[in-house]
Amino acid sequence: MTGPAGIPLILDTSVLIAIARGDPDIIGLVQAYDSRAQPLVIPALATVGASLDARSEEADDLLAGLELLGHATAAPLRGVGQATRLADVIARTGLDPWDAHTAAVADAAVCPVLTLHPAKWHEPGAALDAPLHIIEITDPDDPEGSGQLA
Amino acid sequence: MSERKSRLTITVDPQLEAYAEQLVETGQAASVSAAFNDAMTEKAYRDRHRRGLWKARSDQADPLRVARMMAAIDRQLAQ
Repeated sequence: MTGPAGIPLILDTSVLIAIARGDPDIIGLVQAYDSRAQPLVIPALATVGASLDARSEEADDLLAGLELLGHATAAPLRGVGQATRLADVIARTGLDPWDAHTAAVADAAVCPVLTLHPAKWHEPGAALDAPLHIIEITDPDDPEGSGQLA
Repeated sequence: MSERKSRLTITVDPQLEAYAEQLVETGQAASVSAAFNDAMTEKAYRDRHRRGLWKARSDQADPLRVARMMAAIDRQLAQ
């Protein structure tokens, strides 16, 4: 059971970077969600951030492979309204455009954000009108935390 | 599968139509249909490659670890 009532989960830049780097466990996790028909959302600018981090053809193929999953949907930056809303989120939170797009999508859709680095969301999340629902990807049996993978 | 080609009506962006016609005019494609046929063949190849890449990586995942991470996420979602 994941994502109560099929609520979409938004992947942030840290998760997309792990995918771009070919992290088997994070890719396995995303694939397992997809096989359970869990809707996943991939903010377009978060994908830009992940691609910039990895800079390889294989990384871009892994990122593009997300769109081939049955239940993953890319969230584009569409139109002037969304662009100015993104600028507002950047100004209020101090986030870079990659994470700010994730925040803007989560804020508009009221969906949880999956991340490997929850600490980076604490302050920015408080700057928005409604707090973001941040979900950490972690392995309780790993003393280092799975965030070390990314 | 039949080798006979089927007729298909599609709507494309004007700049892509212009590029396909340019390919025909410069002799790089036999027809606009051939240009789109080539493009879809290339996309099918790329998508197969990407699916294979995902399968290869996910086959290396530790299923017990993935299950623990999913359980931890479920607990947070339930809060």
